[in-house]
Amino acid sequence: MLNTALPDKLRLLPWTVIFVIVAIGGFGISILYSAAGGSLQPWAATQSIRFGVLLIAMLAVAQIDIEVWIRYAYPLYGVILVLLAVVEAVGFVGMGAQRWIDLGIIRLQPSEFMKLAIILALARYYHFLPRAFIESPRALWPPVLLIGVPMALVMAQPDLGTSLMIAFGGVAMLFLAGVRLRWFIGAGIAIAAALPIVYNSLRPYQQKRVLTFIDPEADPLGAGYHITQSKIAIGSGGMFGKGFLNGTQSHLEYLPEKHTDFIFATMAEEWGLMGGLSILAGFAVIIGWGIGVSLTGRTQFAKLAAMGLTCTVFFYVMINTLMVMGLAPVVGIPLPLVSYGGSAMMTVLLTMGILMSIARQRHRQMLGGGPASL
Amino acid sequence: MSPLALRQQRIQVAGQRQLALGRSRQRLMIGVLLFVALLAVVALRLLDLSMLQGAKPAGQRDLFAALVPPRADIVDRHGAELARTFDAYSIAVRPRDIVGDKRELAERIAAALPGMTYEKALATLNHPGKYRYLQRRVLPTDAKRINAIGEPGILLEREPERLYPNLGLASHILGYTDIDGKGAAGVERAFEERLSRDDMRGKPLVLSVDSRIQQAMEHELAVAMEKFSAVGAAGIVLDVRTGEVLAMTSLPELNPNDAGKGSVEARFNRTTLGVYELGSTFKPFTVAMAMDAGTVRSMGQMYECPRGLRVGRFTITDTHPFGRRCSVAEIMQESSNIGTAQIARELGGARQKAFLEKMGFLEPVSIELKERGRTLSPGANWGEIATMTVGYGHGIAVTPLHLATGYAALFNGGVWRPATILKVGKDQPLAPGRRVFTEQTSYKMRALMRLVVTEGTGRKADAPGYRVGGKTGTAEKVVNGRYKRNAVINTFAGVFPMDDPRYVVVAMLDEPQPLKETYGFRTAGWNVAPVVSKVITRIGPVLGVVPDEQREPNMAEVLPYIEPKAKP
Repeated sequence: MLNTALPDKLRLLPWTVIFVIVAIGGFGISILYSAAGGSLQPWAATQSIRFGVLLIAMLAVAQIDIEVWIRYAYPLYGVILVLLAVVEAVGFVGMGAQRWIDLGIIRLQPSEFMKLAIILALARYYHFLPRAFIESPRALWPPVLLIGVPMALVMAQPDLGTSLMIAFGGVAMLFLAGVRLRWFIGAGIAIAAALPIVYNSLRPYQQKRVLTFIDPEADPLGAGYHITQSKIAIGSGGMFGKGFLNGTQSHLEYLPEKHTDFIFATMAEEWGLMGGLSILAGFAVIIGWGIGVSLTGRTQFAKLAAMGLTCTVFFYVMINTLMVMGLAPVVGIPLPLVSYGGSAMMTVLLTMGILMSIARQRHRQMLGGGPASL
Repeated sequence: MSPLALRQQRIQVAGQRQLALGRSRQRLMIGVLLFVALLAVVALRLLDLSMLQGAKPAGQRDLFAALVPPRADIVDRHGAELARTFDAYSIAVRPRDIVGDKRELAERIAAALPGMTYEKALATLNHPGKYRYLQRRVLPTDAKRINAIGEPGILLEREPERLYPNLGLASHILGYTDIDGKGAAGVERAFEERLSRDDMRGKPLVLSVDSRIQQAMEHELAVAMEKFSAVGAAGIVLDVRTGEVLAMTSLPELNPNDAGKGSVEARFNRTTLGVYELGSTFKPFTVAMAMDAGTVRSMGQMYECPRGLRVGRFTITDTHPFGRRCSVAEIMQESSNIGTAQIARELGGARQKAFLEKMGFLEPVSIELKERGRTLSPGANWGEIATMTVGYGHGIAVTPLHLATGYAALFNGGVWRPATILKVGKDQPLAPGRRVFTEQTSYKMRALMRLVVTEGTGRKADAPGYRVGGKTGTAEKVVNGRYKRNAVINTFAGVFPMDDPRYVVVAMLDEPQPLKETYGFRTAGWNVAPVVSKVITRIGPVLGVVPDEQREPNMAEVLPYIEPKAKP
């Protein structure tokens, strides 16, 4: 099969989406170049290599058979859950939070993989769950556990942003699978009731972030500094920005995390509204394509997994941009493909790889030996 | 279970399956709609931040607005920068929000900010109010150090700051802004609206001042002020044809970048706000008025010049008494009070007053600046005695700028024009003038004033080749309505080149002291006349006046009427 199909396989790849991914990644590298004051060091060069390697990895993942994902969805989930527990035990303390396992060569961040594993696992669960049982309360316990356990582990690291992402992804899957609305409403009320308790159990820095989100201007030099400076940077860009390499907020170090979480502000200062809209348009193309894959998928697994993975990308983009623009609390979620750093880029490119592999075989009627949805 | 029941259940299950499937599709669509809605929210927020809110935090709306300063720059007539605006910082404190230890904080603030003391910082931090300024007009580097302290109770705010890059240069013309950036003096105050209006602030305000001439004038005056231990000085260079002020300075010097630190003396603009009895520099006006009125028909007209002239209760005296009959030319040459008083008496108070009114001497000086002093004149008591004393510059007090505009009218062909601080050009038309003297009178005055410098009291004002004409003036200083003993205001009003007058140069020294070098004299001919000579030597080339030893005004007008002196 392999030898006959290589040109065919290439033809089948969604080249528009790949082009958009490369465009966003390239734009990101140019922003990093500018943020370093017009220098490849320390960020742009590393990021380029990383982007190239992960892009190839994405294309490789795209060749994997869809059958593999459904077959190994649970084992994958299990392994990552164990790794998360290990992180809790022997984790590397970095940035004040235990998030990495140091394997010597790379520092592995299992919580990143969990964002994908949870979606594949839930997609598999609902793929095989007889339709009639979707609404029964008994069928609700396994997915709740599937979401709850890793979420709690990540929360304990403590990493509020990632645990929220896992929760969002999982809940989105339940919603898409068709779990009755009353359960969501009930859970919503329960969470609202538990909020004060949760708030009190948060670390002081996390509490401050939430308070700051509510009124960033109250404390522009303290925790609100991020958001205030970020908004100034975006605002000062105007329509077309100050021009490449001409940002002042970022170059004068007013903007914290200018190359990671707040790179959108760095970009907006130099490229203005047009730059911001271009990035959003790029992600809109990617997400729109993901939705299309989900809508045209024939099996429940293909539908759910495609939509869930698209959601993951969407959450990244939304949480980051809303945060940078002062509409969401500062939770430390990078802008995928643009921010400096490997984890988010790896997650998103892997997501895109899996999505492409699903997209290639979305018309298959039977999966995992189980029935097709029709 | 009966077969029927089983079939029923199967149908039910199939129905539920259909239902679940439909719901799944519906959910997917809801999800898609949420995506689109959130994306729209982000895009709208981006639009809001970059286009609408951008103005607030950074003080600039968009690319265009970023290039427009919040207040217009001020430049000299050749475009050299005199004032501009840049973004500085203000540092404020919310005493109630301070988290750190206040004593330690105060120490760190005092170390970070120049000019800040520990006590002052601590007092501000302990203030019971909600919001206090710690320091304003802070440089970015200092603000960065404060930022590094990381105290949430300290606020850094950007505010536009006015910068005068040439420090004291033309400071009394430029004036300064108050702490809120509003003009408080000088051009900054007079043109507040022009400088801050949205549609005008992109364009620099072009002054008539030439910084090179201003610099020469300031330097020479400062040297003289130091040398003669004077308490103050003033100087003006005026274009006689247009009324443009090319230089105008008042000493002691003021640094407008820190105007609040300047003394009251330094902030005082002597050229437009200070009124002085300008003494003998007034005499040419009297002669010109008399010529225009027809009471003086020739430079050779003779007057009795005794050693003292008794008028009412007191006696007018001269420093160089003639004790004989003398001509108008001689009266001017030796600056005779007695002679000038008689010319004024012939002219009469009514005509004198009318002339002074036409020259604007009875009202605050005509210029855009708001710092304009009210002149003093005999007013209702303008009798014969007053007419005679005003004739030689006593009993009337005007600003040095009045004097300069008066001389400009006297020598530009007889047309008075208001002085202006703005460059006359296509945006700023020449102000309409009014005729005060006839062209004939103006022409004849040239030789007379040149005579004062070549042969009379103003010899030290001569600048070789530049054909300087002018008149000295030494007046006793009035302090609190009384003449102050041994304190004089010395003035020299000069014009050059005298064969075709272009520029008036007025220099004034306040309370110069006598020196051995001046043989114990403190009269204007000894101290302020040399200043004018040096200034003209310096600015002549800048103004494009070619020195020429051969050219002179028509001295035949006056030379026949003076008695040659016995050369020592």
